[in-house]
Amino acid sequence: MKSVGSNVRSLTIAIAIAFLMTSVGVGYWTMVASADLGSDPFNPRLVSAIRDRPRGKIIEADGTVLAESVKTADGYTRRYTDRSLAQIVGYASFKYGASGIEAAYADSLVGQDPADPLSTWRARYLNEREEPGSVVLTIVSKVQKAALDALAATGKKGAIIALDPRTGAILASVSLPNYDATLVSDPATEDVAWQQVNGDQGKPLIDRARSGLYPPGSTFKTITGAAALESGVNPDTKVRVDDPWQADKSWGTYFVRSSSQAHGDYTMADAYRLSENIYFAKIGLQIGGPKIAEYASRFGIGAAPKCDIPAARGQLSNTGTLDRPTLVADTSYGQGELLVSPLQMALAVAAIGRGGIMPTPHYAQEVRDSAGNIIRTIAPGASGQVVNPATAAKIRDYLVGAVEGPGAFAFGAKIAGVHVAGKTGTAENPAGPPHGWFVGFAPAESPTVAVAVIIENAGQGGVDAAPLGGKVMQAALAR
Amino acid sequence: MTVLLRRGDELRLLVWVTLIAITGSVAVAATEAAGFAYSQLAIPVAFICVAVLLHVFLATRGIRGDQLLLPMAAVLTAIGLVLVQRLASSLLLQQLTWTLIAAGAFVGTILIPKDLTTLARFKWTWALLGVALLISPLLPVIGKTVNGARIWVGVGPANFEPWEAVKIMMVIFFAAYLEEYREVIARPRRIGPIPIPPAPYLLPIIVMWAIAMVVVIFERDLGASLLFLGIFLALLYLATGEAFYTLIGAVLVVVGGFVLYHTFGHVQVRVDTWLRPFAEDLRFDAGYQIVQGLFALGNGGLFGAGLGNGMPDRIPVVWSDFVFNAFAEETGFAGAIALLALYLLFVYRGMLIAVRAPTPFLQLLAGGLSFIVAFQTLVIVGGNARLIPLTGVTLPFVAYGGSSLVTNWMLVALLIRVSDITARTRGTP
Repeated sequence: MKSVGSNVRSLTIAIAIAFLMTSVGVGYWTMVASADLGSDPFNPRLVSAIRDRPRGKIIEADGTVLAESVKTADGYTRRYTDRSLAQIVGYASFKYGASGIEAAYADSLVGQDPADPLSTWRARYLNEREEPGSVVLTIVSKVQKAALDALAATGKKGAIIALDPRTGAILASVSLPNYDATLVSDPATEDVAWQQVNGDQGKPLIDRARSGLYPPGSTFKTITGAAALESGVNPDTKVRVDDPWQADKSWGTYFVRSSSQAHGDYTMADAYRLSENIYFAKIGLQIGGPKIAEYASRFGIGAAPKCDIPAARGQLSNTGTLDRPTLVADTSYGQGELLVSPLQMALAVAAIGRGGIMPTPHYAQEVRDSAGNIIRTIAPGASGQVVNPATAAKIRDYLVGAVEGPGAFAFGAKIAGVHVAGKTGTAENPAGPPHGWFVGFAPAESPTVAVAVIIENAGQGGVDAAPLGGKVMQAALAR
Repeated sequence: MTVLLRRGDELRLLVWVTLIAITGSVAVAATEAAGFAYSQLAIPVAFICVAVLLHVFLATRGIRGDQLLLPMAAVLTAIGLVLVQRLASSLLLQQLTWTLIAAGAFVGTILIPKDLTTLARFKWTWALLGVALLISPLLPVIGKTVNGARIWVGVGPANFEPWEAVKIMMVIFFAAYLEEYREVIARPRRIGPIPIPPAPYLLPIIVMWAIAMVVVIFERDLGASLLFLGIFLALLYLATGEAFYTLIGAVLVVVGGFVLYHTFGHVQVRVDTWLRPFAEDLRFDAGYQIVQGLFALGNGGLFGAGLGNGMPDRIPVVWSDFVFNAFAEETGFAGAIALLALYLLFVYRGMLIAVRAPTPFLQLLAGGLSFIVAFQTLVIVGGNARLIPLTGVTLPFVAYGGSSLVTNWMLVALLIRVSDITARTRGTP
């Protein structure tokens, strides 16, 4: 029998090993996972400054204050002035964490911008905190108001996003329904408000423009067309359209339908103007699934846009590939299993408008210190050349035709004195009447605004959405 | 004077304890809105006086042997006081009062059993007393439910968790019983490599353990049941060296855990919050505490935010369940490692006392008591760092709570007694 002493030694070794493993675990959380935990939107350290000292302001470029800290009996709390930007500006609750700009620029808002390491160091180790500065957004009040008014007038859920194709600066972003971020951030009301916004069937916390995922419908034809042109398809070759259509008998009872029950010969220009599904299904099958997948990926579908606040990835299909002919056909005209966010579609048309160069979206343009000096400018530049300029120019011409040509579906987006390029979409979905889409940009020759509109379960689909796009672009052109 | 100098290392180490207690208290006070005031030094100074008096007491009683345990227990208790000041300053006086009671219990444990081996003779008394104490919270009038667990006994204003004391009684009982029967238990008949334990001899300790388990299950205290199982298996291993028993124990934990998971809602919640605390449905609900705890660890980095500069106060009941995370947030990975090293050193000294002790009973006693400190530390820190499901045991000496502090100081006294006996038997200082 072993002596007790030797058993004690073995047990001690086992205990020492357990201590070592525990230390490794503690090291993981304190050192390795530290950055992830620190940027988790629900980490109250992100909003640490709101209770005992004021947090920085969030303002528009013209100085309009969107968020500021006000002193109450038991510390500071956040006040938000523009409910239409609730999902962009976000909330900063001591209990429920932060979202939107409040989360993405949390360091800057407590006077510890990454571009200002000295202040960060002093705050951390000397407990000397700077007066917080402010974060200036790219949102333009007039455009934002036009977008809100246009969408609110429909009485439907939906989203509108407008951006500057030259810089990627977001000019307006509206998502309905929205919520009152002040109630979610105020300790006196946060619990009730949090329960309420989370229980709301309308999902007001979700920014539909950035994180809402919808089938793109015909707006996706922009991408199919670009893929076809770069795969050697001659756009002037007439393609026979006979509704309903199937490639061969193996499709069984499945047919691609034309929205106008068309019979005739179509060029690509005709197909854009009249949004002819059968035309795009046919050329999609002609160039093949891998090409469609390649161009969807080039236009950023399936990958989250590099953006200062997180945005949805979308998907090409449930598996990520187009593995059967009917799925290739359906995807080519924007149905199938495609899901995109309005932001992604706005970026896609912005790239068409800018000769194939896709901008990187951003909601903030600069961080200022308490004296108003610029600490950091946010100008992420282009994210890449997604198609060549000649392709982009051709698609642009077709999109102008889709707004201004005879019988064009997107006529509602016309603006007097300016050429507008655009495309409607009518997204079939399992949840009820089709969603209405419009994507477009203006002036067509050298755009300063690109827009995406989605109206959930709209009466007539894309035709309802086009006028909203027109109004928002008009406001943006006048900015 | 020469009597006092005999424990010179202990006194020198207490100087460091003094430095830590005072700088910690000043650092915390300085970050508070009211700022530092000299009156706030009263608490650490009072504590230091107690620690020095305990040292003088040991020296004048002529106690020999280990001189590290008292300073280590004192520094852990001092860290505990600093953290109570930081996290729940309204409880600080109460914690200091418990520290005084703990010091009294320490003195009592050194003085009262004239001969430690007599403890072994009353083993059945300890067993019965332990069971009675465990059942006591279930009794009307004195029993109290706190945070869903009926593990408290209240008399007047003082509340006590009996299982904290039971853990020591259990070690005494197991040590005494196993000393007597370990030869029989350690030489089982074997079928191939599988030992068949001699059931009749194991029966009493299994019954004792089973009663404890049933009671803690009824009282909904996972931490205590895990600790009792740990003590049972550790002592069985120490007495017999039979690794197969430990294996059976591990199987018991898995099977028992599985059964508990499917029968008790609160066990299921514990496991779910361990596996996916960040899930949408848990992070503001059952997972809130662990998620906030992990945020605190994440804010630690290498050197921490500095005492008083973190936000550990966002963790619910941080002063008892998550005191480790608070310490790690404000002193960083470096501080956390230092704290764990301190516990490991404590356990090492305790185990050293066990190896050197003259009789198997004293060896098992010292080994079992040291194991308690190791096991509690590993289980609570493991739970705090999401390495294992969270169970409610206390971080020895540091976590807020009177019962735990008192019993842990009695544990230190018993280890010093064993070490004293060894020194006398072997004639070393």
